Amino acid sequence: MSATGPLASEVIELEDSFEAVEAHFRERGWTDGLPIVPPTPERVRAMLAGIEAAPDAVTGKVPPLWGEATVEKIAINAVMAGCRPAAMPVLVAALEAMLDPMFNLYGVQATTHPVAPLVIVNGPAAARLGMHAGPGVFGPGNAANATLGRAVRLCLWNLGGGRPGAGDMATQGSPAKYTYAIAEREEANPWGPLHASLGFHAGESVVTVFAGEGPHNVNDHVSQRAPNLLTVIADTAATLGSNVGWYLAQSQLLVVLGPEHAASIAADGFSRADVQRCLYEQARRPIGRLKIGGMWGIHDWPRWMTTVDDETRLPIVPGPDDILVMVAGGAGKHSAVVPNCCFSRAVSRAVTRWPGS
Amino acid sequence: MVVTTSAFETLAHHEAHTLGMEGLPLLVIDHPLGGEPPDRVAAKAAHTVAQLVARLGP
Repeated sequence: MSATGPLASEVIELEDSFEAVEAHFRERGWTDGLPIVPPTPERVRAMLAGIEAAPDAVTGKVPPLWGEATVEKIAINAVMAGCRPAAMPVLVAALEAMLDPMFNLYGVQATTHPVAPLVIVNGPAAARLGMHAGPGVFGPGNAANATLGRAVRLCLWNLGGGRPGAGDMATQGSPAKYTYAIAEREEANPWGPLHASLGFHAGESVVTVFAGEGPHNVNDHVSQRAPNLLTVIADTAATLGSNVGWYLAQSQLLVVLGPEHAASIAADGFSRADVQRCLYEQARRPIGRLKIGGMWGIHDWPRWMTTVDDETRLPIVPGPDDILVMVAGGAGKHSAVVPNCCFSRAVSRAVTRWPGS
Repeated sequence: MVVTTSAFETLAHHEAHTLGMEGLPLLVIDHPLGGEPPDRVAAKAAHTVAQLVARLGP
């Protein structure tokens, strides 16, 4: 089988109109509620030409309903989302990362928590796709970001059965579940790009998936010193209603610094490790407050955390390295904290399989 | 025996079907479990245990 050969998927004959295709897909629950690009065989083949992989190659089975994610099925969903073929190697790598057991995609899909996989693209792939890392990075406005994130969602929807009240048991859901993909503004990161801090070469293309809530804004127009600014960020991260910290071993934070905040912190002489250590020390909650509610009594902590007095401020992640730090956005004094769901670990994969590779 | 709350029963059935385990026995507890006073949790637990014993049978 090849990108030019017959497709394995069923071919459906429909009236040749956008409205007819839209109605057919919507009535069968194959869309996220937004209009789709009809996945004609020609468009699917064009999408398959964007990746050096056999259409019948299996990336894995997508929970909770365990649909098989072949490259062809992924391509169909990519067409529906509006992706260009260049997105395919990144999209497949993102799905591979999400299917790593460390990511716990079953939990991410079926939980009541409003978690969505945030796809972060680093390295040359971001420019190759035309991704955006500047003003308004979380959207709206950039087609590559929007369609890549939507393709991930449609794969989770159609291959994994992640539909509200069925395979997706989120109590309220999140706008981040429609699409959630960004690139890093690497040239504005004083400490080098995120993927280099995770063990990859800076010149590699890497996709990182992070099971996060929507971004929580950090507004600080005043602080000039790194400890002050990081204390404000830490306060945004350590709230009583957060999932982060209740299952400590899998809790992580993603801090997306705005470029101006990152520059202020670096100008104060802080390294990435200093930032992580400072946030680890500051993003804490006193155990006496945690006893009010949240997940008190069903938490999973190391023993030492349960044997302290009520004034002791407890960490919300296992260690400084569990706070991922990246830079994105435009002008202004805002950053974002993305708390994870506390039962998933971020996973990164190198993006390979470019056509001709 | 798989234990679930009523809110997740549909998901449990769908997954059992997908995995080819149509007859998978489910023990369903009325949703929710969280936020309930201790006496109601105790009542649900007693009812659940009774159901479990009955299903396991002699």
